[in-house]
Formats: sequence, structure tokens, C-alpha cells
Amino acid sequence: MSNSEMSRAIRHLETTGKMKEMLPRFFMRMMERKFSNEPVAWCMVGVPPELLKAFDLLFEWPENFGTMCASRQVAPHFIEVAENDGYSPELCSYVTNTMGYCKLFKETGEAPEESPLPGGMGNPAMLLGSGFVCEPRWKWFQSIATRFFDIPVYSTDPLAPPWDIDPHDPRIADHYLTLLREDLAGQIEFMEKHTGKKLDINHLREIMKLSHEALSYWRDTLALRKAVPTPMGSTDYFHAIIPQMYLVGDQDAVDFYREMYEEVKDRVDRQVGIVEEEKYRLIWFGLPPWFNMGVFNYLESLGAVFVYESTYNVGDYFEVDLSDPLEAIVQRTWQRAVKMHEYGAETMPELCNPAVFGGFSGSSLLGQLVEEYTLNGAMMHLTRSCRAVSFGEVHTRNRLAKINVPSLIFESDMADPRHWSDAQIKTRLHAFLERMEKAKQGGKIDGL
Amino acid sequence: MVFNINSFAGPDYKTTVNEQYIRGLKEKTRKPVIGYLCCFAPPEIITAAGAIPYRITGLPGADTSAADSYLEPYGCTYVRNILARAVEEKLDFLDGLVISHSCDMVQRLYGIWTYYHPLAFSYLFNVPHQVTPWAINFFKRELGFFEENLVNFTGQKTNSTKLTDTIMLYNKNRSLIRKIYHLRKEPQPPLEGSEMLDILMAGGVLPAEDYSVFLEATLNNLQKRKLKTGKAPRIMVWGSIIDNPVFYQMIEKTGGRVVCDDTCIGYRVWEKDVPLTEDPYEGLSEHYFVNFQCPRTDRGPGVERFNYLLQRAREYQVDGVIGYCISFCDPHKFDYPDLRDYLKKEGLPMLLIDDNYSFEPTEAIKTRLQAFIEML
Ligand code: SF4
Ligand code: SF4
Repeated sequence: MSNSEMSRAIRHLETTGKMKEMLPRFFMRMMERKFSNEPVAWCMVGVPPELLKAFDLLFEWPENFGTMCASRQVAPHFIEVAENDGYSPELCSYVTNTMGYCKLFKETGEAPEESPLPGGMGNPAMLLGSGFVCEPRWKWFQSIATRFFDIPVYSTDPLAPPWDIDPHDPRIADHYLTLLREDLAGQIEFMEKHTGKKLDINHLREIMKLSHEALSYWRDTLALRKAVPTPMGSTDYFHAIIPQMYLVGDQDAVDFYREMYEEVKDRVDRQVGIVEEEKYRLIWFGLPPWFNMGVFNYLESLGAVFVYESTYNVGDYFEVDLSDPLEAIVQRTWQRAVKMHEYGAETMPELCNPAVFGGFSGSSLLGQLVEEYTLNGAMMHLTRSCRAVSFGEVHTRNRLAKINVPSLIFESDMADPRHWSDAQIKTRLHAFLERMEKAKQGGKIDGL
Repeated sequence: MVFNINSFAGPDYKTTVNEQYIRGLKEKTRKPVIGYLCCFAPPEIITAAGAIPYRITGLPGADTSAADSYLEPYGCTYVRNILARAVEEKLDFLDGLVISHSCDMVQRLYGIWTYYHPLAFSYLFNVPHQVTPWAINFFKRELGFFEENLVNFTGQKTNSTKLTDTIMLYNKNRSLIRKIYHLRKEPQPPLEGSEMLDILMAGGVLPAEDYSVFLEATLNNLQKRKLKTGKAPRIMVWGSIIDNPVFYQMIEKTGGRVVCDDTCIGYRVWEKDVPLTEDPYEGLSEHYFVNFQCPRTDRGPGVERFNYLLQRAREYQVDGVIGYCISFCDPHKFDYPDLRDYLKKEGLPMLLIDDNYSFEPTEAIKTRLQAFIEML
């Protein structure tokens, strides 16, 4: 559990270090507003964060709260509370973490003292969910609003065509786009009703300009990792996603990602890597084990670096016309779905935005990445309680085997350390590095 | 007649017999067989397009290692079971496949299955998750795309008269099934829950006309059947898919009497007719989307979403509810705590049984069932 030698992560970039000052500033501002009883919305990835900002709404991300509870090693406590309440240990540990939090909050009327944020996630006034990515997310907010807080919920339902339906067929595009547009209109109507504010389209456009600017720096930074040696690893990557969630549409976020880009670019120019000798370049699939982010450093100490992560990856397809910002939100969702079809996405028909979450499995993108990022192997975290993101890993392994790229699927969880054993995982990692070494020397790897 | 509710010969009886039957039917009629999972894509459309709808069932407890090369170990064991059968070519009698986007597992099964084992026809029937006017419109359009694709495959045109006639044929079966269910409201029902499931399972394989004949004969027999004596606690079963009577038999052997259910092959599909509307898609959307009570559809927060279930429990004078959850079944596992508490408040105790789709009557399960039934 918490005594894993991998629990502490070391980051390599100076820019991510700056988050230490930037985020508390932001959280303090949020807290002041919370204390003056402004309503807080709990949200999910899949809710356009620009809308939250346009409504000047206070918000929290229970998913992200789950990652924080996991890294501070307090998630097991909340999860056990939920399990005693009848939630199965098989359910998403972000969800059970929240359910435990809510139960304790309800019992005492205040945030449980174990909460990683001062004041925890506060007392929600509304829930803005999204069926984007997985089904537990539908049940999650439904249960919160049934069991703990009697508050209104709106969940967006971004469906996408399955892998064998052509999204370029104008009738199909219209079928899905109509749903996306009407669903977004429903969401805005809900937000207007429950905030008592009218959406200001011009304000939204300005926010989107800033958020897309920040994200384009992020995208360009990620592309810089094609360089050998790679200038940036996973500990920085997974840390640097936080401003996207909280500071979207802020100049602060633009500055942060620009500085990050500049720092990484400078490292590329000077050929500064993150390890002394880069022996293996890897791609990461799945959610990380938030309670043991040091696993990345452990691998680095063996010469293995990650240069691409499939999860939380914004990809490169959000160039949309911002003159109509609502249509832009619809189009960026749709265009990502279309792009994934072009790559092939047979294991994720409902994901509108697979570039942000999960593997891209059957895609021809794999071959392209292997070449562009000079990859030697893939590591896939099979998270027992999140099937949504780990589903498709076996299929991805099969596809990679076809192009002679070795991969390892190892099992644990994103927030629940009860599924982690240092000794076992180390053995598997070492065995995998040996396999990769063989493959590097031209050996044929096992696969389907 | 293949189906005889007085005979029952073991756990894999139905699935294998059904498959034999469907092979024979295919040879006789020369019609393509379209397998389906979940109850969103209407079998009425398959029938109207000149094909044979076949509800794919698993083989509980079977070795599923054949699925390991394609699917992660953590996932609904029922879905793994079906995929294992598919990759072992045990379902080679299927000409086509329609899988609904019901739960995560099922819709992802679609991609894996059709990628590694393509069929002459396959369609993922996409289903929105909440019942809004725009979601209903999407569902209607999806019905159109499904029908169009299927008709292209079978080459047999449909029209709204043909579809309405087929709906009426299926509605006839719905009303017969309701009549059989209503017999179970009696203090001494003439049939056990396990027998009811056999009757329903026949509906997954028999063509609608033949099923009508079967249901009429069954109803007739049941009305003449001597009633059981003795009092037994009346049980409702709720939860994941149950496509094998073994679980009901376990309850029956322990002294309980299953009088109604809320599972996806059970009453959910039959309790209402498809409304006859000028545009048949209207009625089909209302039945298969708006009214179909699968927990994968978000009907908003609050316990009102369980009212239909409570009402049914009252109608059938249920003493207790037994939940059945297959490993990693998110939609049901998420609802359990809310449902348990709601039923408790209404004076109905609930027991939850977790299973990996083996329906294995282990000592632990037997003891829990026994303790629960004794308590009632
Ligand atoms: S994607 Fe996975 S981690 Fe995220 S909410 Fe769904 S099940 Fe949980
Ligand atoms: S048993 Fe549950 S997880 Fe499995 S297919 Fe049915 S609803 Fe989905």
C-alpha cells in the first residue's frame, strides 16, 4: 500500500514545478468564493470546460479529486466507506472514492478531514456529467443525486458512429451532429436555468480562443517528444494535465503551456534527455497508478522512457472555426471522432473523443507512432476497476505484435493501491525489458 | 415440438437445443439468421426484412479461455462467454449480427467480434443514454438506418404495413406472455419461475408465428395444470442477464418461489405492447427506448426510477427480492445500493448474489439463499 517505494514521483521540468505556486493561487480564489456560498458544480471530463468559465461557475472534478486522493494515499479510506455502503469493489475506484467522500460529508456536514484539498470538493449545487468515455459516469452522478445530494443533474451524451459506419457519409454525419448540437443546447439551457445567467457568446468565444491557444502549445510540446533523447517524460506529462482542467480559458494557462513548450524546445535543441542513456522508448496506455507515480522514475532508472501517452492526449485535430463557438464545440468533438475512424477504432464505437482518453487500439495510428516516436515497446496498465480505458489493450497488443513491437499488459488500478504489489510488478517489468532487448536485437516477439 | 416445459435436462440444455433448432430452421426456410443481443434493436424489423431473429445466449460456466486472446480478463463474464463461443465457431450458423449499444461491454464486444470474425452482415445499433426529445429522435433515425442496412443485406423490401403487421404478431405473443405471468399472481401459481424462463427462452429462437402456437398451447396446459400446494415465500429476481433457469431452480430448491422478475430476458421485454402508431418507428421507439427499463438508460436521479419495480413487486405480492449480478456488470452494480435501500424502506428485504455467469450452486450461495428465504 502506501509503503511502496514507487509512491513518490520526480519530475524533470522546471515549468511543472511552477504549478506549485500557480495552482494554490487558483485554489485560494476558488475557496474564497466557496466560503461565500457560491454554488459549486461538480463536473466530468466531457463537459466543455470553456462553458464553465463562460458562466463564471465554480467547479470541481470528482475524477481529478480521485487522482489527488490516490496520490495522497487517502483513496482507500473513502473507497472502503463506499464498499461498506454496498458499492462493489469492482466499480470504478474514482467513483467509489467519491461515494465514500459524499457519505462522510453527509454524515458530518463538512468535508472529511482526509480530503486532499482544503474544504474538499465542497457542497455541490449541481452536477454536470457526461457519458463521454464510459458508462459508470452515467451511474455515478445519478447515484450521487439519489443518495447524497438532492440536486439537479445534466449529462451530455456524445455518441459517435461505430467503427464500421462511414462518418463521411453526409447522412451519418447529420445523424450524429444533430444529436451533438441538440444535446449541447440542452446543456446550455440547463446551465442558464441553474445559474440564473445567460450565456454570453462573445465571452465564450474569447475563452475558447485562449483555451485553444493553450492546448495548441500542449499539442506542440507533445510532438517535441519525438526527439531522441526525449526531453520530457510521463511524470511531467501526467502532472501537466491539471491546468487544462482548472485553468482553461485563463491567460495563466496559456502562459504555463507556452513556457512549458519553450522549456521542452530548449531541451530538444540542447539534446537534454531525462535519463543518462535512453535504452527503450515506450508508449503508455491506460490510466496511470496515481498512488505510485514513481513507477515511471523506476523505469527511467533502467533506461526506459515514455515518449507518448494515449490517455489525456489532446491529439492534433481541434483546429475549428471559432466564429460560432457553439458549433466549434460540436465540431471539435465530431472531428476527433471522424479522425479516429480514419485510423480505425474498433474497440471504442461510442467514444467521441478517443484522442483524449484510452487506447486507440486497432488504429493505423499505432504504426505511425512507432515510426515517428521511434518506439521500442508499449506498456499497458490494465486497471481492474476502470474497464473503459483499459478495454482494447489485448487488441492493441495483437496489433502491435503484427508490427513486431513488444508490449506488456500489467494489472493494477488507477486509485486503489490494494491491487499493487511492488515485488510482482518489478518482476514483470524486468522480464519485459528483457523481451524488449531481444526484440531490439532483431528477435521475433511472441504475439498472436 | 422442441420445447416442452415439463422436461429439463441440465444447464446447457437450452442453448444447445436452441442452436440445433435454429440450424434446422435455417435449412428449411433458406432465410438468413440474424443474431442479436440486448433488447434495443427490434426483432420485428429483422422478421419484417425476411430474416430469422435469434437471441444469442451464452453457455454458463463454459471455458472462456478462447476469449483471452481478444478480451481483457476484467469484463462481464457473460460477454466473454459469448465471444468465446463466437471465436470457437460455435455460432457459425449466424449470417448476421446486430448488437445494441446497451452497456459498455456489449457494445465493445461488437467491435472485437466483427473485427476478428467478420460476418456477412453486422450492425451496431447505437442508443442514446437518456430519454430526451432529441435522444428519441436519434433512436428513430437509428431504426431507419438499421432497417435500411438490413434490407440491403436480405434484399427483401419492407414497408410500414409489413412492419405494423409484424408488430401485431409480436404483440400477440406479448399479450400471451402477460397472461402466463398473470397466472403467477395467484397464491398458488401453476408454474415455477424456472419454467417461465424456459418459455421465454423459446421466444428467442422460435419464429413469432410458431411462438404464438407454443404460447397458446402452454397457456392452455397451464390453465389445466393442478396447482401446487404448500406455502413458499414469493420472490422477485432483479439484475443482470439470466438466460438459464439454473439460478431460479436454486431458489426453488431452497424453498422460495420466483413469481416475477426484472431482468433483460424476463418481463422487461414483454410487459407492454408496442404501441400501434401511424409511423411504426414511433411505437417502436416508445417501446424499445422510452419504456424499456434497462438500468443503462439514465432516467434521472431519485428513486422514482425504481417505481415500476416496486409496483410489480406489489402486484405479485412479493415477500423479498433477490438480486443477481454478473461480475463487472456496471449498470446493475451501481443501482444496487439505491435499490436495496429503497426496497427496505418499502418493507421489502433484498439479497444480492454475485456470480461469474456460472450459475454454480456453491455452498456459499446456497447458504445465503437459504438464510434469506428462511427469514422471509
Ligand atoms: S473512464 Fe474509467 S476511470 Fe473514468 S469514470 Fe469511467 S470507469 Fe472511471
Ligand atoms: S450482464 Fe451487465 S455487463 Fe454484462 S452484458 Fe448484461 S448489462 Fe452488460
